Amino acid sequence: MDLHRNRKFVYLGLFSLVALVYLIQIFRLQILDDHYEQKAINNALNKIPIYPDRSIIYDRNGKLLVHNIAMYDLIVFPAKAKGIDTAQFCEIMKISGEDYHKYMATARENSKKRQKNNVFNGSAVFMSNLSKEQYSAIQENLYRFPGFSVEPKTDRLYAVKGGAHMLGYLGEASKKLLAKDPYYRPGDLVGVTGIEHTYEAYIRGVKGVKTVWQDRTYTERGEAKDNEFNSPAQAGPDFYSSIDFDLQEFGESLLANKRGSVVAIEPSTGEILALINKPDYDPNLLVGEARARSFRQLLIDPKKPLYNRAIKGVYPPGSTFKTVMALIGCQEGVLKPSTTHGCSGGYHLGSLTVGCHPHPSPTDLKGSIGISCNAYYCQLFRDIIDNPRYPNVKTGYAALEKHLRSFGLGSKLGVDLPGENKGNVPTIKQLDKRHGKSWKSSMIISLAIGQGEILLTPMQMANCAAIIANKGWFITPHLVKGIGVKKYLPDEFKKKHYTTVSELYYDWIINGMEMVTKPGGTAFGTGINDIVICSKTGTAQNPHGQDHSLYIAFAPREKPKIAIAVIVENGGYGATWAAPIANLMIENYLNRGKEPQRPDMLERIRTSTVN
Amino acid sequence: MARINTSREDNPVLDTVSVWLYVLLVIIGLISVYSATSEVNQTFQFSFSSIAGRQLIWIGGAVIIILTIAFANVAIIDYFAYGFYGFAILLNIAVLFLGKEVSGAKSWFGFGGFGIQPSEFAKVATALAIAKYLGTYGIRFKGTRNVVITMSLFLTPMLLILAQNDTGSALVFLSFFLVLYREGLPGWILLSAVWLIVIAIARIVMEATGISHLWTMGTLSLLAALIVYFGRKNRQLIIATLFVAAASAVFSVAVGFAYTKILKGYQRDRIELVLNLKQDTRNMGYNLEQSRIAIGAGQFVGRGFLKGTQTKMGFVPEQHTDFIFCTIGEEWGFVGVLVFFGLYFGLLFRIVTLAERQSTAFGRVLGYGVVCILFFHVAINIGMTIGIIPVIGIPLPFISFGGSSLWAFTLLLFLFLKVDEKRR
Ligand SMILES: [Zn+2]
Repeated sequence: MDLHRNRKFVYLGLFSLVALVYLIQIFRLQILDDHYEQKAINNALNKIPIYPDRSIIYDRNGKLLVHNIAMYDLIVFPAKAKGIDTAQFCEIMKISGEDYHKYMATARENSKKRQKNNVFNGSAVFMSNLSKEQYSAIQENLYRFPGFSVEPKTDRLYAVKGGAHMLGYLGEASKKLLAKDPYYRPGDLVGVTGIEHTYEAYIRGVKGVKTVWQDRTYTERGEAKDNEFNSPAQAGPDFYSSIDFDLQEFGESLLANKRGSVVAIEPSTGEILALINKPDYDPNLLVGEARARSFRQLLIDPKKPLYNRAIKGVYPPGSTFKTVMALIGCQEGVLKPSTTHGCSGGYHLGSLTVGCHPHPSPTDLKGSIGISCNAYYCQLFRDIIDNPRYPNVKTGYAALEKHLRSFGLGSKLGVDLPGENKGNVPTIKQLDKRHGKSWKSSMIISLAIGQGEILLTPMQMANCAAIIANKGWFITPHLVKGIGVKKYLPDEFKKKHYTTVSELYYDWIINGMEMVTKPGGTAFGTGINDIVICSKTGTAQNPHGQDHSLYIAFAPREKPKIAIAVIVENGGYGATWAAPIANLMIENYLNRGKEPQRPDMLERIRTSTVN
Repeated sequence: MARINTSREDNPVLDTVSVWLYVLLVIIGLISVYSATSEVNQTFQFSFSSIAGRQLIWIGGAVIIILTIAFANVAIIDYFAYGFYGFAILLNIAVLFLGKEVSGAKSWFGFGGFGIQPSEFAKVATALAIAKYLGTYGIRFKGTRNVVITMSLFLTPMLLILAQNDTGSALVFLSFFLVLYREGLPGWILLSAVWLIVIAIARIVMEATGISHLWTMGTLSLLAALIVYFGRKNRQLIIATLFVAAASAVFSVAVGFAYTKILKGYQRDRIELVLNLKQDTRNMGYNLEQSRIAIGAGQFVGRGFLKGTQTKMGFVPEQHTDFIFCTIGEEWGFVGVLVFFGLYFGLLFRIVTLAERQSTAFGRVLGYGVVCILFFHVAINIGMTIGIIPVIGIPLPFISFGGSSLWAFTLLLFLFLKVDEKRR
């Protein structure tokens, strides 16, 4: 008697129901949700970065400036670093117990972050840039400390002692950068300033990836070959800088024991031939395990050796500005070579007096530049902005301002270095604020001679010299000559920027600049015999002390090869320090290989201290 | 496998379909164990000391068991059923005193490198004993005495195994309730059990999420009131509804008490994780998530043999025993899962068919015993790996690594097939 035969269908129904529900759930996991495969890969694949060599940096003549050296980081898997004899570890690494815990806490934090991003599993830098002693000590004892390993990477090695500000230095990737760019991992070295920073994307090369299988306990379980993630590291391409390092070194020797800056540019290309700041530092200080320590010292040094005056420092251009004012005067039709003005010890207007040094009077345009007459330029300034063709002084001034800006003044030039200063060309708004709404030309007359609110960086001054050399245009100054085999040059460094002053007028001003180093000129006695140097001296008033010595120049007059600006802080007259330094550098560059004509002057400059 | 040929009454053999499904499942098990314990993309290597090698030895033992059963006299099975049961009970008592502790449970006898788990054999013995009892002439699952004896037959080993602290194996004995349904256990008892589970889950959700009891109570009361109102002509319905409502309320309070006061933290965690009440990426939650990742990573055709990183890199826990299904899911994908389900549920259906063709209550009860135990294992084990059921550590029959379970399930299946062969 079997009363419950039909119950068999309940069983078959129950089995079918469970099978169906389970298959639906499995279908959801396997087919509908496609995140799981990636999660599985992220779990088990550890992508270990292979560090490429950074670009080797050469100067324009192929001279080696910067190359690489193998360095080591101490890496830790916090999850595996159990039962470490901390005392012994600290003893071997010559660190304090406090440091140990600090480093470990940071590493633990960083490894967590990386796990979260599913980029790398579990490991992080414990100490970067081991010293030779630390490296060999830990290498011998690594077996004592589970979870620790040593990872090679490369650091910079400088073949030269100079060029610090233009080369820049490396530093560990900042938290901000790490948050912004997933390319970097904590402890990575990255260009912080200089060429190293601007061209970081090229110079760093391309990190390679070696993938390994890694189990739940972060134990490596062999290399994951034939994997889409694997890639070799690619070294950064050779980087050719526009710098002429012989000139750079020579200039640095001249500026030794002084405070100031030199920028030299090849006018036809905008290539920066030399970028010198004093005080500076030896780039070799900022490598390896000493990097952080040296950096802190440099940072607090009252002499500010890290300060890149050439692009960050701003100075009133003083009389060097007269060249630009003269050009604008010509363009505005208020100045011709034959225009003469008298000078009786300065410019007098009512109670206003702008002093001038004794010189033959009156002068024409050429003479006014050669002997740098202040009265001539005060008159010119008023002719420009009080020009009757403008309804009022402000429209006159606006015309002047527009011309000035076309020389790249009052705004960043776009040099390939970080932190460039704009300088200042006073706007009408600024002048209103300073002098009240109804100012007159006489109230801002100091602009005529490059004083007052007008401020230029040494880079902008050098660029003005290059503009005059080119007779009306410039290419944004830059430190790159070419990257890689194809000598890649960014397009922005091929484009000519024209000023609002016509090419016609430049020769009139150049005629005057040629007189500066000739008898009667303000820099007579500093010239070089066989080179036609066109220049202008300047003295920038310094409310904090001795005036700054300024000089801009280019040479030779025909087909100029070099334009230069020199500023020696607290150096007094332009002719005293800035002119000889510039002219010696011009000689060094143009007469390469010849005996210096002015060994006496060279010796005097090199051995003098100015501060 | 003895004398396999076409099924004919006058020349009886072990059921060919079942034997082949068994063979295929055991081979799938061996391959999965080998894969789960290999390195990624490892070239073939084999040794008898490896886990897969040991599984092969167990399989050899299983073949000897099958041959022994095939050539034995079927009468012995019937004759020794109670003796075997008594022996299994004794072993399960002895293990409480003499066993060694493995991960918190004292359920193993150790012999050198090998171990025997008497609880596995208790399943077989219990299935036999219940079949024998209900197969005895004149006895049916009816009347207090018969019901009490039948229940004690499987509740006794269950309690012993609970005492061994092996909750998973103990729960398996609940599958005998399912067997008894075929023998006349009223359906409402099983439905009540399901209802109680629903109440328990609802209560746990309330406890864990802090939803007010009043809402649920109010809704249920309203439901009861509606039934009472519309069924006011039917006195029996009113009484039944009120009784169910009262019993449910009492049970709910009891569950609430047990859940908050008796269960330990980790036990609550397991339940809450499955009910999706808790996000936890460490420990239990981590294991469950890894298990789901493993299966999900298989996608349609799987990552390929020896390519499942989830199972080989230790992310999935116990990848060659309780979580062996992850290897199948990860390496063979949905296609592999479909084939596997086809084979496994094919075997279950086949056993039901065989059980129904038995002429004796002994054969039928044994058949349902086999199929219900297997079903319980499969449902719990796979349900656990895909995150539908809390983690309960029981093996996937024929697939998971382990001698005791393989031998016990082989014994269970082939004893029934032998009985089926000799059916009258
Ligand atoms: Zn004068």
